[in-house]
Amino acid sequence: MNPQLIGVDDIGGTYVFDVTKSVKALRLNRFFWRIREPAFRELVIQNLQGAFDELHLNAEERGLVEQSDWLGLVQYGVSFFVLEKFARVQKISNLTVYASMRGETLEEFLMTRRVPGSA
Amino acid sequence: MAKIIGGIGTSHVPTIGLAYDKKRQNDPAWAPLFKGYLPVANWLAEKKPDILLFFYNDHANSFFFDCYPTFALGVSPSFEMADEGGGRRPLPDIKGHPQMAAHLADSLVNDEFDMTIFQDKALDHGCNSPLALMWPHEPVWPGAILPIAINVLQYPLPTPARCFKLGKAVRRAVESYPEDLKVVIVGTGGLSHQIHGERTGFNNTEWDEEFLRLIVDQPEKLTSMRHADFIRLGGAESVEVIMWLAMRGALDEKINCVHKNHYLATTTNMAVAIYEQAGARDISKLTPKVADEGGV
Repeated sequence: MNPQLIGVDDIGGTYVFDVTKSVKALRLNRFFWRIREPAFRELVIQNLQGAFDELHLNAEERGLVEQSDWLGLVQYGVSFFVLEKFARVQKISNLTVYASMRGETLEEFLMTRRVPGSA
Repeated sequence: MAKIIGGIGTSHVPTIGLAYDKKRQNDPAWAPLFKGYLPVANWLAEKKPDILLFFYNDHANSFFFDCYPTFALGVSPSFEMADEGGGRRPLPDIKGHPQMAAHLADSLVNDEFDMTIFQDKALDHGCNSPLALMWPHEPVWPGAILPIAINVLQYPLPTPARCFKLGKAVRRAVESYPEDLKVVIVGTGGLSHQIHGERTGFNNTEWDEEFLRLIVDQPEKLTSMRHADFIRLGGAESVEVIMWLAMRGALDEKINCVHKNHYLATTTNMAVAIYEQAGARDISKLTPKVADEGGV
């Protein structure tokens, strides 16, 4: 146990991305990371299964991506900072991803914000 | 010798860059944020630092989890801006300072900070989101950047105390560089926000105010906190404010906050502050004591 993280499990709704998660989800995190590369980005848009094959993703990982299960992906072990690159190819804002992880629509989420007009 | 003339603490939210590129400076929803950076741009224009030394984090752009460094120093003569998945931002490349970087590497490693050294790696929004608001850059940036990346993505992260000590070691390194260069230390990240899990959207502006007070007056209170404390008080991703502690460690024991602003629009309380060394004010303009005139 990392002594810096004592008590973090009591906070709720929070998933620490640590070495164990990083090992488990390396291929999946790499799948999202490679969206930085224009050629791979195009492959993800044109041929998602081909992109899955290239990274040897397993059935569970493919399902989570196909369903855009943002919360499920984080729970599985994806770092948010690679996940947001997938939102870019889907042409949706991070705010939409945030809303999804709270079980809300974008409109519902924005109602809880101080300045919805900044979206 | 090189000198640290002050510090800047700033958020590095990517949507600041997006709003900048879309020219939303006068949009009422964004104006309070942009107005907060005008005094920073003016201060930098007045102080004319040669180098901005940035404590920032790479958001899995130039570094990936196949080999993710805890502390990494950029030593290139020039840095590109990263394509983070949606194309590159329309910003020019920025100069580095390989000579001072080499000195920093030598000094830090001999000071027991075993830095990873990187070249040919692009800088992402961890640097360029606030940078564009702080420095004019058409056609070129007015100075150089020395980027020091800190791991705030993959636990175990360096402790808050370790980041503070890194700042102190960076100060020793800068101040032992023989050329007369002016350096401003920039600490990035925060303030309160959480952007993953069901707790997404968490903010705590009262804690942010307290943080902005403690970083000036009692940084040791912040260095004694654990990552879990930062997560609880400010949201999971706000733990990145440990990079402000690296900046703080490089400054005088006493500093003056000469400007601060924070603005929460949607998910992150976006803050910026300028810190001057407590001895940095121009004392030559102060009225001398009467006793001096009497030739005591």
